[in-house]
Amino acid sequence: MKRETPLILVVDDEIHILHVVKMKLANAGYEVITAEDGEEALEIALQQQPDLIITDYQMPYLTGLDLCIALKQHETTRTTPALMLTARGFSLARKHLDQTNICGVISKPFSPREILTRVVEQVEGEVSTWGHTP
Amino acid sequence: MNEASRHTYGGSAENQDGEKVFFGLWLSVGTGIVAAATFGYFSIVASGTTLDISQIGIASISIGLVLALIHWMIFNLYESELRRVIAHTESLVEVERSEAHGETYRPKLGLMAVVEAVDQAFEGLRQRMERMVRQRRELEVQVRVSDAARRHAEAILGSISDAVIVTDEFNEVVLANETAADIFQFELATSLRKPLEQVVSDPTLIKLIRDTREDDALVHRRKVEHHINHHGETKFYEAALSSLVGSATERGKTSGVVTVLRDITQEKKIAETKNDFVSNVSHELRTPLSSIKAYMEMLVDGEANDEQTRSEFYNIIQGETNRLSRLIDNVLNISRIESGVVRVQREHISLYGLIKEAVEVMKPQARAKNVELIFTSQVLLVQVFADGDMIYQAVINLVSNALKYTPSRGRVTVSMDADQHRQIVKVNVTDTGVGIAEEDLPHLFEKFYRVKDHKNLAKGTGLGLNLVKHIIDTVHAGSVKVTSRVGMGSTFAFTLPLVSYEHLEQGP
Repeated sequence: MKRETPLILVVDDEIHILHVVKMKLANAGYEVITAEDGEEALEIALQQQPDLIITDYQMPYLTGLDLCIALKQHETTRTTPALMLTARGFSLARKHLDQTNICGVISKPFSPREILTRVVEQVEGEVSTWGHTP
Repeated sequence: MNEASRHTYGGSAENQDGEKVFFGLWLSVGTGIVAAATFGYFSIVASGTTLDISQIGIASISIGLVLALIHWMIFNLYESELRRVIAHTESLVEVERSEAHGETYRPKLGLMAVVEAVDQAFEGLRQRMERMVRQRRELEVQVRVSDAARRHAEAILGSISDAVIVTDEFNEVVLANETAADIFQFELATSLRKPLEQVVSDPTLIKLIRDTREDDALVHRRKVEHHINHHGETKFYEAALSSLVGSATERGKTSGVVTVLRDITQEKKIAETKNDFVSNVSHELRTPLSSIKAYMEMLVDGEANDEQTRSEFYNIIQGETNRLSRLIDNVLNISRIESGVVRVQREHISLYGLIKEAVEVMKPQARAKNVELIFTSQVLLVQVFADGDMIYQAVINLVSNALKYTPSRGRVTVSMDADQHRQIVKVNVTDTGVGIAEEDLPHLFEKFYRVKDHKNLAKGTGLGLNLVKHIIDTVHAGSVKVTSRVGMGSTFAFTLPLVSYEHLEQGP
């Protein structure tokens, strides 16, 4: 189901990050909803089925990775792609990636510009690329 | 003299021999004559007949000659046998003889020679026995000395806190110390000369020792990490295995293995904690940095369309910069204060003003989390004699903690009161957060301690509370305490010695 305006879910326990990513994407014309932890995000995702999820890795209750794994297991969100933000500076193991629809990893501190580029790539390009920003 | 009579002594003292035989002959003749004469005289006296002197003389000489002949026959016929007898008796003292004389020696013949030989044999035996007794005593002393040396070595081994096991080329235990016996649960006394497999029930280690022993390298030493399960608890050891190359064995072949196990469980734990700490710190630094970078970029890209938004961005950037700065302070302060690098500068300060300032600084963070942060005080003019920067840091850390573990729509209250009787001022930081379990409470103020369940909840270095405790307890002779209920919230309270105060009807 393709919406007219793509819906993007942004998840991070840091309010400032949520705020800035939301603003950047909204300014670019996307519709953005937010969540402050993994559990909340899962609920919202199942309800609203966004076209893309941008999530932090380290979060209370449910990590970003666990969130993505959970999403892939649900029928309604099985194909929802995800962008992972992480300050951890590591690469995700192949076996973890395979359990999710993570299409890219962006490390913190990040550039909002870059997030927008990736979002555009993903949503408009219809191509799932694996990329890692050092 | 015939060849057969020349014994192991060899030599050719024929003259000597000849003399002795001659002497023996004369002796026999003389003895014979005297014996015959005596016998003749007494028989004549006894029988009463008179005899010629000449008859007596002839009889005596004849008897004497007969005796001499007999003597000569015996010693000639049985020379070799006699020599052998003498040689045998003297072989008992052979060593002494050659030592004493240092020359080849031939046994003398004759009765005297035999007697002499036997006498000397006994003398030699006696000397030998004396020597043996001496040697035995020396050996006893040596045994005592080597026993003492062994005990000394065992004592040294026993005092070494690392486990030591020495095995020989047959993989039998030769030496071990108390620590090894403890770790591998065997009896030290009964372990000697037992096969390694019987003493130690650790297949990995046995294989290691075996491999080291079979490796024929000249001087071989390897260090390997090894872990052992001790009643469910895993301990880590650094095993150093050295092969012994002894002179008693074939060249280049290992005569044994010395295994030393050093307990590195604590070391590993510390290293792991340090690694976690570094990882946490860098993670925590990146968070405010991310905000700063993101908002700066937004400003640069002109994403802030109006003055209000721009103003908001500036504030956020400023706030996050401060946050970053505080974090770095925390990390640095801990080590600096503890190592005494930072000098404590005590002065009379108004605690009220200090706390109020700290609370104000934390207000933006509280707002960001949608948590209410308030400061109330029953007293206004409270003076303490303290290092203002340190107390400020302590308050910041307590409030920061409270905010971290309080979810949205919660509340953090900082309150202050003075107890004139006890001459102390009390400051409480209470939150309506997740609370802390009882088993965690005693550890809260330890360095790097982080409550397991909270690790997912909030990021932290595990240093904040440790610094607070150090500042309040150690530097200022106050005390910090915590009370908490899981699911309800926590209260961190600290006290400081009071200088002066003034009571107020109500707080601000």
